[in-house]
Amino acid sequence: MDKNKKRKEIRLLLLFLLPALIFYSIFMIIPVITGLSYSFTNWNGVNPNFEFVGLDNFVKALTDDKNFLASIKFTLKYVLAMVVLTNILGLLLAIFIDARTKTSNLFRTAFFLPNMISFIIGAYIWQFIFRKVMTELAQNKFLGFLEQPWLGNPNFSFWAIVMMSLWTSVGYIMVIYIAAIQGVPTEYKEAARVDGANKIQIFFKVTLPMIMHAVSINLFLTLNNSFKAFDQIYGLTGGGPGRTTQVMSLNIYEEAFSSFFRYGYANAKAIILFLFVLVITLIQLRLTRSKEVKA
Amino acid sequence: MKKLIAILLVLTMVLAGCGQANDGTDDSSSISDNTENTEVKAGSTVDLKLFIAQPRFREIYENYIDQFAAEYEEKTGVKVTYSLEMPSADTAPEILKTRLSTKDDLDVFMFHAINEKAQYYKAGYLEDLSSEPWVADLYESAKQAVTYEEKVVGLPLESLTWGMLYNKDLFNELGLEPALTLSELKSNSEKIRAAGKTPFLAAYNEAWIPQLFLPLTVGAYANTSHPDFIEKMNADKSSFEEISEMFNVIDYVHENANSNGLEIGGTDGCAEFALGDYGMWVQGPWFSATILEANPDFNLGVAPLPVNEDPEASMINASVSTTLGVCSYSENKEVAKALVAYFLNPDTSTEFFTACQFNPISQIHTFDTYPWIAEAIAYMEEGKSYLDPSIPQAVKDESGKALQGYYSDTASADDVIMALDEAWAIFNEVNQ
Repeated sequence: MDKNKKRKEIRLLLLFLLPALIFYSIFMIIPVITGLSYSFTNWNGVNPNFEFVGLDNFVKALTDDKNFLASIKFTLKYVLAMVVLTNILGLLLAIFIDARTKTSNLFRTAFFLPNMISFIIGAYIWQFIFRKVMTELAQNKFLGFLEQPWLGNPNFSFWAIVMMSLWTSVGYIMVIYIAAIQGVPTEYKEAARVDGANKIQIFFKVTLPMIMHAVSINLFLTLNNSFKAFDQIYGLTGGGPGRTTQVMSLNIYEEAFSSFFRYGYANAKAIILFLFVLVITLIQLRLTRSKEVKA
Repeated sequence: MKKLIAILLVLTMVLAGCGQANDGTDDSSSISDNTENTEVKAGSTVDLKLFIAQPRFREIYENYIDQFAAEYEEKTGVKVTYSLEMPSADTAPEILKTRLSTKDDLDVFMFHAINEKAQYYKAGYLEDLSSEPWVADLYESAKQAVTYEEKVVGLPLESLTWGMLYNKDLFNELGLEPALTLSELKSNSEKIRAAGKTPFLAAYNEAWIPQLFLPLTVGAYANTSHPDFIEKMNADKSSFEEISEMFNVIDYVHENANSNGLEIGGTDGCAEFALGDYGMWVQGPWFSATILEANPDFNLGVAPLPVNEDPEASMINASVSTTLGVCSYSENKEVAKALVAYFLNPDTSTEFFTACQFNPISQIHTFDTYPWIAEAIAYMEEGKSYLDPSIPQAVKDESGKALQGYYSDTASADDVIMALDEAWAIFNEVNQ
């Protein structure tokens, strides 16, 4: 009797999920599977004749392709910078806003607003800022340090991209942290204060362990999003100058659609990117899950 | 979970295998053989699917095609309707390739003659138009540009004649003539510098601008000292090391230009050039409208870019970009060919070409061109021009990026040469 009931329940659940599942499979699952099948071929995107080449593409991508390996290095650098900076800044802002009483709404909105702008629009806005506004601001003698080749020099363009991405994404992370911090029961904090702990000790020993689930989620989000970063870099520097700010997704895009049209090969690289993200996120989830403390 | 992944992997391998089995038996000739050329009878309606990636001229095209439909109906009694797809130029190649590879209904499509004719022809999508009536009146350079393996594969629309741009007012003021050798170029630059202006404008932020050096240098060498350079490169038998001399002019321009070149993009460059502080810019007259918008009184000149001491090597690059082709699997070839031919109809073509500000490409065109185009054509009439060399698009893109790296000191000249060689080798591999 119980088994039948359970089966009925499951069937009902599936029925409710069906519309979303259909969309998801058509637009996400099926393209990934066809992409996977193309990655085993040497299709050039236009010629109807192509051959099955097995794992050749994967081997070539990881051993022979200097640009791809350079883009992997750059992506890792970018991911590290983004994950660390976004989370620290987001957390600091969340603490700051949580401590306010009257103006918290204003600040929360102000910091979240950039997230409403899509990455590509933000990239074009910041491109204008780096090109024209910075030069104007640098006329002021105190702000002379702003006169840098922001988009022309590889060292500076890395930080230009990080700045722009931080501006856009910090808001989202901050909101999650605010929610988590507000979920910490005040009794614990008061008890700690009564016991003589100062603010920093309260934060690290009471608040932080209790928001570990939010930290885990945010780390996952920032890792995922920065690995897949495309819009902001495409809009801001286009991977340039040369290929010095090219991330993996931009390298794949260039491979498939604008330079070599090696569609099969590009698919193989995309699968490699997918596996990268999968492995790293699984590791990260496992590590932080063990640290979560239930209230 | 593991079983699911294993099943999925097997499924995809099978799918890939099946896909290959089907496509392996087709060969390019069968694509065109499979279409039945439907007999076009009076009183019937033909619907044409057109793919033309020039959204800025949408109205002009629509009016012109409506005109064609009216005339065609009068002449043959066949009613022609059409649907015109006009994506923007940067996404157009991907969309077109998707349509072609899924055999979407398509009758006439637009492609870039120099860059794309080989690819589309080898894939079997271009109909042979050599016996069309308008072929005979084409200018020789335009005809060469749209010919592949002795067959005319498209109708040229946009033609380009370029080398570098120069500030005519400044040259007249200083009594300078466009240089025909590298030493003349150097002496011109010294005089411009002495007058307090910068000899060259550097605007390298967008990779396609440094890339312009590639067709200019390869074209110059391939038409003088290294006549079979391109065939050898296509057969993997040569290297850019052979024409490493091209760095002489590239370095000279770089050293005598503004130092913040990597920060300046195309349109910014036009504004800068129009201000009059620069003598020359390695760029083409397609920017003329933008430059004149910034300064309507600017006097623009087009001159060849010298690469060495041989004055014969300083020539104008004549190219054809936008071209109309007939799809080989189209089911309405007769009407499609008639539509394409209408673009060079002696009575109406001049109107169309002037409306779009295209340059003349056929004997039937009798309109006046802009002074800088006339200047370039003067060079061509002296025989000082060559057809834009058929360098693979991948190599062109790579050169833009490689030169950006060279200018930002992250790559050496050897790195650039290696990158270009590699790009060409990959292209040969992918497109045998």
